[in-house]
Amino acid sequence: MFSTELVAQTAISGVMIGVLYALMALGITFIYSIMRMINWAMGEFYMIGSYLQFMLVAWVLGPDLWWLAILISTAGVFLLGLVVQWGLIKPIFKKPPEMRDDYATVVTLALLLFLRSIATGLAGPNQFTPGSTLPIMMIGPMPMAGARVAAFVFALAALGIFWAVLRYTWYGLALRAASQSRVGVQTAGIDVLSVDRVAFGIGVALAGLAGALLAPVFLVFPTNGMITTVKGFEIVVIGGLGSIPGALIAGILLGLIESFGAAFIDSAYQNIYGFLLVLAILVLRPTGLFGERGREA
Amino acid sequence: MAVALEAIALNKRFNNLQASNNVSLAVEQGEIRGVIGPNGAGKTTLVNLVTGVYKADSGDVKLAGESIVRCDMHEIARRGLVRSFQVTRLFGSLTVAENLRTAFLARRPTDGGDGGAQIDSMLDLTKLRPLANTQAKKLSGGQRALLQMGCGFMVPGSCYVLDEPFSGINPVIKDSIIEMILDVNRRHNATFLIVSHEMTIIRRLCPKVTVMMEGKVAAHGSLDEVARLPEVIAGYLGKALE
Amino acid sequence: MRKFGLLLAAGLAAIGVSAQAQNIGIGLDIPLSAPGDAAGGQMIRRGAEIGIDMVNAAGGVLGKKLELFVTDSQSAPAMGVANYRRLVGENKVVAVTGFFHSSVALGINEVAKEMGVPTLAVQASASDITAKHYDIAFRTHAVDPVRVAAWMEFIKKKGFKKISIIAETTDYGIGLTDETIAQNKSGKAGLDIQKITFDNKATDFTPQLLQIKSFKPDLVLNIGVGTPVDLIMDQATTIGLLPTTPMLISYDAPTRPQYWQLHPKNGEGIYFIAYYSPKSPLSDLGQAFAKAYKEKYKEDPVYGALNGFGAIEILAQGLKAANSTDPKALIKALESGTFKSWPDAPVTFPRADGVYWHNWVPPVLIVHYTKPNQDWKEADIAVTYSKK
Ligand SMILES: Nc1ncnc2c1ncn2[C@@H]1O[C@H](COP(=O)(O)OP(=O)(O)OP(=O)(O)O)[C@@H](O)[C@H]1O
Ligand SMILES: [Mg+2]
Repeated sequence: MFSTELVAQTAISGVMIGVLYALMALGITFIYSIMRMINWAMGEFYMIGSYLQFMLVAWVLGPDLWWLAILISTAGVFLLGLVVQWGLIKPIFKKPPEMRDDYATVVTLALLLFLRSIATGLAGPNQFTPGSTLPIMMIGPMPMAGARVAAFVFALAALGIFWAVLRYTWYGLALRAASQSRVGVQTAGIDVLSVDRVAFGIGVALAGLAGALLAPVFLVFPTNGMITTVKGFEIVVIGGLGSIPGALIAGILLGLIESFGAAFIDSAYQNIYGFLLVLAILVLRPTGLFGERGREA
Repeated sequence: MAVALEAIALNKRFNNLQASNNVSLAVEQGEIRGVIGPNGAGKTTLVNLVTGVYKADSGDVKLAGESIVRCDMHEIARRGLVRSFQVTRLFGSLTVAENLRTAFLARRPTDGGDGGAQIDSMLDLTKLRPLANTQAKKLSGGQRALLQMGCGFMVPGSCYVLDEPFSGINPVIKDSIIEMILDVNRRHNATFLIVSHEMTIIRRLCPKVTVMMEGKVAAHGSLDEVARLPEVIAGYLGKALE
Repeated sequence: MRKFGLLLAAGLAAIGVSAQAQNIGIGLDIPLSAPGDAAGGQMIRRGAEIGIDMVNAAGGVLGKKLELFVTDSQSAPAMGVANYRRLVGENKVVAVTGFFHSSVALGINEVAKEMGVPTLAVQASASDITAKHYDIAFRTHAVDPVRVAAWMEFIKKKGFKKISIIAETTDYGIGLTDETIAQNKSGKAGLDIQKITFDNKATDFTPQLLQIKSFKPDLVLNIGVGTPVDLIMDQATTIGLLPTTPMLISYDAPTRPQYWQLHPKNGEGIYFIAYYSPKSPLSDLGQAFAKAYKEKYKEDPVYGALNGFGAIEILAQGLKAANSTDPKALIKALESGTFKSWPDAPVTFPRADGVYWHNWVPPVLIVHYTKPNQDWKEADIAVTYSKK
């Protein structure tokens, strides 16, 4: 039972899935770090990304252009994010700051229900899949669906691009500054509400990207974003809210713990292991592994 | 001379407290005006009203003759009205150089480049070069005040509103800040409105001061003139200035 | 004046309620959203809705029309119980049918036995749903022992020795797993059984499937419900477990229209339990239903739809036999009468022993897809098992 092959396979499968979880967590953390609000509808943007991917591959582009479909789906979710911020979130942020959190929470919860029922209404409760023409690949001793390997590579690339944009571009600097002090960036002459818009767009686009990438792996249906969102929030607690390296490392950690727990302890509790880790972190290090102390007001 | 910054009958109420009561003042282009007054007099409230942090209940604010009272904070900043905070607002996890770069890029002139040269000279001016790659949250209070001032001066503004730029800072850094203020004032004919309790510095920098008490403007005039007024002595100074 | 307005509104509402009460209500509790098997629930709902239309078109029951009240259990027992209370308390239904997830049916029956309105489970298979011998509990579905007996016969016929069971941690999954282990022992089948369980909210089954692969079984029993069934198939294909190792799915998920859309490449070779094939004869009612269904949905009904329809027919006939909407009278009538549903066989609910209490069991088939994109109606029937 404890063959080295099985251990290696379990480890690889854990890391592969962990990076995709991290994508989701990154979206949550990123929006929070700029806007100090939690977007509960994250899973619904994942869902929309997966439906876009399905529709593009099945009806428009065909399975060979899956990679183009992924780019378009992600861009589509980004644009939707801009619209949602402009129409629903921005009006709240013009109100006094004390009321923001509550209103924003209510709005994103309402959005969650709305988007889910739209999906059920338009496409029904059935599952779909965009399919994948990619062959199965061997990753070390581990056979992997081509779509999953592609998802992993895309996710890593997206994380890299995200990091580079934050690090090396002017807009990245503005985003990082806004995460430190909203009043500060406004005094400097930056329109913080337009920074919010871009941040919200990028954050939900990360979820949409995860949805598009995982569409052929975990299928497309109205509530498919739910479990990934739960994992995303677990990672955010483990890694520390607002921490970007925390999201990546905690994502991989969660993937590994779930996969080893399922393989070597009891697979029935696969979804519990991550939760236990969350509890342990809350007790031992409530700010998460990489949590920073609060930003300057 | 032209009026650079003008507050006209500003009112602001917090719950039961009239923090700003019909406040009017006009600062001329190139003038360095002091604002003094006891704690809770409404000095910071005035600064916040002028710079768009708070929306006035009534009244108007004009910058170079144009009303800015309905503008957002960032628009006011882009029009060249730059402020500093009593409690410094820096980007804590960004380095000193990144803080300066943000300030530069946010208001950069159209042909401005990436600000490398400006950052360089500001690091020299503030003597913060050894700390260029240190996170701002690791600086001392004085260094933070210096950096905040440096950020404000990265792109020359037409008008500066500084809220207690000298409080809790050692004398060496105080002198650096005074130098910077005088330098920008001289070179760009920039206007300053400086809130401070430091009478010696006010006397040195400001030919004219505005005294605030209980939300109202109590007096205008040179520091020596207002320091002789009985109501200012009673309500603020306690005794006549030496 | 304002108070008067309120009273008026309340009065109008009351009139509205009593107008509604002209109809005889039947509750339908099914999963319509995740983690429930929404597609499964949808099929039952379609059948039941056509059933209501057909009964009403034929003149209704006891001079009144039947009205269907649909609720969504999401596969959560607590939600199902709340739904049952509302159906009985607010909608005044005479019976609650539907039930796809066994845990929900079991939970509801515990409350139903106090509240007295009968339940008729059409696609939930845990033994205890009827084995507890509650007066209110009825069922028209293959129970665990019958289903397990069917695959034990299949396993014997194929000569399989090593069996991996991957089952969800619900009453359904655990029930079938334990029954398989019990029948292996009691029937001295001598099988080597590996038992692996999973949380039905999970999406990545790779760790479980890797363990199964290293066990090298002759057959994998896929005891998931809903999306996990499909995810297990796909992920098993990836790690090379499928198609080399045969897989048997524990219910008729592969008869659904989206099966070949989801599994164009790995759908071939799958075995699955079914309760209906066009090769089995239909009653005249069943034929009329199949025609109406095809007209409305442009596809053939699957078992869930047939059984959803059958439940409405059986309840309508039961109400007529009872000549009353009183739950006690309905229960009496169901216990003593003989009814007609979709198969060409009489339907009865005797107070029989064990799990067969109030339980009419349709024949169980094990069906095999032998070609990609095969129509389920043309798929091979590997085993037909009827309760002896
Ligand atoms: N956001 C606010 N909400 C409620 N009250 C406020 C607010 N801001 C200021 N105040 C009150 O308004 C009054 C004036 O405050 P302000 O900060 O303008 O005084 P100040 O002159 O700057 O004093 P100090 O010299 O202590 O900085 C004080 O009583 C203060 O408590
Ligand atoms: Mg103040």
